Amino acid sequence: MSSQSTLLPDLVNFERVGLRYGRGPEVLTDATLDLPQGSFTFLTGPSGAGKSTLLKLCYLSLLPSRGLIRMFGKDTALLSNPERQAIKRRIGIVLQDFHLIEHLSVYENVALPLRVSGQTRAIYNDDVVELLQWVGLGHRMQALPPTLSGGEKQRAAIARAVIAKPDLLIADEPTGNVDPIIGRRLLRLFSEMNRMGATVLIATHDTHLIDEIDARVLRIEDGHVFKGKPT
Amino acid sequence: MSAAVKTISREAPLLPEKVRNTRALWVVLIIMALLAGCALLFARGAMRLSGDWQTQLSDTMSVQIMLENTSEWETQTQAARSELLGVLVGADVDVISQSEARNMLKPWLGNTALPDDLPIPALLEITGSDLSANFVQTTLDAAGFTATIDDNSRYADQLQTTARKLVLIGVGILILILSAGLAVNVFATRAAMTAQKEIIRVLVQVGATDKFISRLFIRQAAMRGAVGAFFGIGLAALTWLILSLFGDWGGLGWTGFGAGLIDLVWLIILGFIFAIICSSAAGITALKQLSFERKRL
Repeated sequence: MSSQSTLLPDLVNFERVGLRYGRGPEVLTDATLDLPQGSFTFLTGPSGAGKSTLLKLCYLSLLPSRGLIRMFGKDTALLSNPERQAIKRRIGIVLQDFHLIEHLSVYENVALPLRVSGQTRAIYNDDVVELLQWVGLGHRMQALPPTLSGGEKQRAAIARAVIAKPDLLIADEPTGNVDPIIGRRLLRLFSEMNRMGATVLIATHDTHLIDEIDARVLRIEDGHVFKGKPT
Repeated sequence: MSAAVKTISREAPLLPEKVRNTRALWVVLIIMALLAGCALLFARGAMRLSGDWQTQLSDTMSVQIMLENTSEWETQTQAARSELLGVLVGADVDVISQSEARNMLKPWLGNTALPDDLPIPALLEITGSDLSANFVQTTLDAAGFTATIDDNSRYADQLQTTARKLVLIGVGILILILSAGLAVNVFATRAAMTAQKEIIRVLVQVGATDKFISRLFIRQAAMRGAVGAFFGIGLAALTWLILSLFGDWGGLGWTGFGAGLIDLVWLIILGFIFAIICSSAAGITALKQLSFERKRL
């Protein structure tokens, strides 16, 4: 993986990034990090340390208060809205609160990124069905999110994040609501995506999960980013 | 798997179809479309009325022959009539009888018996199209009559001005109602965007452009506008039909089926305009709102 990072350009690059909400204190201070193309990175740290904030910056939901963020080689501060949305279509996101659309079936929720990118049902139908079966939701395709368990919602959100084969996959505690067997299966899905070329960034508390894969680890403490596992 | 695939046949709408309070909004839009339709029919009626008055007045003309001797009343009027009939092709020239002329004086002189020796004006009424007061004057002058011509232009101008004001009032009301429709849709779209902000957030997250998202709201508003227009304009057309069938509304420009068919075409056009206004308001509002939200980031 380290040899990969020296050969391939960085997909995400933070240079002395700081972020504060309104006039409050900085929740992220001088964050400098890079995610080389094709890398697999865990982001860990205690609750409230700034993991979710850092992820939000990575998936362009927030703009930094200072510093420079480059995504896919472009300065995010200079992106036009269509450029920003085009980059977002290259990012798959799994969030803690799933963000599933409640009146759409599991199938429709998972197909959403493909639909937004202009694909027709005839093109994406088989892929969506296959993926849903792979994540164990084949029998729940037409179920509405309010009728799903936490684990099922989690898997639907993950399926939606990976369906468009994103270049960058970002997940916030992706195995937090599932049993260990499903958790390992989902981790295998992330590894598979990474093997196919996707850059993966996973924020997690779960040290067992970090031990499962030989991957880069970034830890965040009090808004500062460090390399390596927590001591 | 194939069974599951089979049952998923149609893409579900990304915005929920059943949203609370939409029924109240539809009622407002139906009433607005109804009022817009009535304002349009009023303006069209006033326009038609103006045209009718203009035609009626321009097609008639009164001629007064000045007589030196009242005993020549009969011979002079008949001679003038013959002279005019000879030159005015297709026009009717009627002599106003002395008794009719006396009756015409009553509004000014009252109902008291008029003295027999009161000089009664010798009057002719010409009816026809493309009448020219100058031509009639010249003809009578050349024939040796002393005559004054009244081509009703004084009344025509006043009536025309009144009718034009009525049309302007109708069009003004129509514009006000359409503006209110626009404002209602701006408000409704903002409310819908607030109610569906979670959906918008997800769509933005998966890379939907502002155009893609605003199209969803445009479609929703167009549907709302079309339903409002269909029922509102339908009710306006029904009102028009009832007015045409019952009672004499000619004085208001409701002249029945003949002119009504054109009115119906105008109503249908108004329905389309109403739906377009609804969807445009939604589209512009959605784009503005999305841009505003992005700047707040």
